[in-house]
Amino acid sequence: MKTNLGWNLRPFYIASLVLLLVIGFVGITQPMGMALYEIDTTHSMIIFRAKHNNVSYNYGRFNEFTGSITIGSDVRPHSESMVEFEVKAASVDTGNEKRDQHLRSSDFFSAKQFPVITFKSTEVSTKEGEEDVLGVTGDLELHGVKKSITIDVEITGRAKGKQGESLIGFETTFTIKRSEFGMTYGIGPVSDDIQITVSVEAKHE
Amino acid sequence: MLIFKQLVLGLLLPAIVSGGILIYAKSRASKKKDKRTEAGEGLPLGWLVAVALSAGYIVGYIGLEGLPPFPPREGVHWLCYLALIGLILGTFRHFALWGRLVVQVALSILIPRLLLHSTFKWTWGPVEGIIWWVCLAAALFIFFNIVQQSFTILPAGGSSPFVYFGLFGGTALILAVSGSLRLAQHGGVLVAIFAVSWSITLIGQHADNRWRVLPIGASPVVALLLAGIWMNGYFYEEVPAASAILLFLSLFLAPIGRIAAVQRLGARRSTIVQIAAIALPVVIAISIAVARSGLFGESTGY
Repeated sequence: MKTNLGWNLRPFYIASLVLLLVIGFVGITQPMGMALYEIDTTHSMIIFRAKHNNVSYNYGRFNEFTGSITIGSDVRPHSESMVEFEVKAASVDTGNEKRDQHLRSSDFFSAKQFPVITFKSTEVSTKEGEEDVLGVTGDLELHGVKKSITIDVEITGRAKGKQGESLIGFETTFTIKRSEFGMTYGIGPVSDDIQITVSVEAKHE
Repeated sequence: MLIFKQLVLGLLLPAIVSGGILIYAKSRASKKKDKRTEAGEGLPLGWLVAVALSAGYIVGYIGLEGLPPFPPREGVHWLCYLALIGLILGTFRHFALWGRLVVQVALSILIPRLLLHSTFKWTWGPVEGIIWWVCLAAALFIFFNIVQQSFTILPAGGSSPFVYFGLFGGTALILAVSGSLRLAQHGGVLVAIFAVSWSITLIGQHADNRWRVLPIGASPVVALLLAGIWMNGYFYEEVPAASAILLFLSLFLAPIGRIAAVQRLGARRSTIVQIAAIALPVVIAISIAVARSGLFGESTGY
């Protein structure tokens, strides 16, 4: 008896193939067990401080930046974990327009030549004995110079948002030498050591 | 420490290096008593003066910035290489006219693309970039020839180093008030070099009033450094467009000295008119930059 089974099952085959493709695509873009957290710039801050005349600390911030954090769904680091940041150099804000203009010039950030400061992680690991501290190694590109840095990032909290989205907070403070990034102007009156603090709230829909 | 670095490495050292080579060039020309080389037509004196200008600038550059990376990362890094390229062009001054024109056209096309790499990448779209590139290449080619012409149009003696002293001084001042002290220091290096060459001319012309401290062979160094600093200032700093255009146009007024009515004023007065004509747009350019900087406003600094 001739059956028409193959023909009848054709929609099922197609649906299965589509489903496999979708799963495969999701698998490529986001490994299983991973969650992508987008940075909520309204509740995040990138600040820095430099010592002026070796006397006092002057603070500044960057007002425009974007970024994402890919981390295990259980908020544990994973071999696929990744941290990416992009900061607009021209958005530097120290509360004084004249100083900001000077900071945007080639004396410091050269914001027209190097409009973005980027950080892209190359390795994320856990710190032994410190459950909420991640060791993040990555490439910081500032002023056209790319350098690998390693920083400790503290997970400052986890919660659910009003719409049920997952929220997570991170904070890190680290120091760079601006001369290592080719920013050598005015070392002395303005310190070579720049302390940077990144405090981030990120959400996963 | 910073002021020591600026004064000694950025002004004094370049002046000493350039001055030393210029004095050597002058003594060599005097010994040979070769009027042809003194008029700036031959290679040796032109080449030595090109060496004096570029070596002085490179010493100042290294003093202020350290050795430039290769390939250059920033527009400022190109200035050191432009001084070297200018020196090489000055060396081949005796080449056939067509050969020099081909090199000038090639450099006019290449330099804006290399120096403004970031602007091409981040600011301009493809069409806008090509339009800017064509305009800048044409402007640079014209500027090469305007600077070269100014070396012959300006009378012998102190007038040509004085004009360039003023032009680099105005440039440095505009850059400083526009917020780029680093680039202003590079203008300052050239101010020091032209101040010393002007002084040497004033002393040297007592012995020989036909002596031209800036022979035509040195013009590529001057043209490339001026163009390089201006491009950096306008595209990467906050130099007002009107100031940049006025600085660029100032040297176009050098031929005013060839107008019959001006020549009838006599040598001294026509030179003064010529220098005043070049100085006027520079002064207006400085005034515009100062006015826009808000230097005399309520917020005077930080």
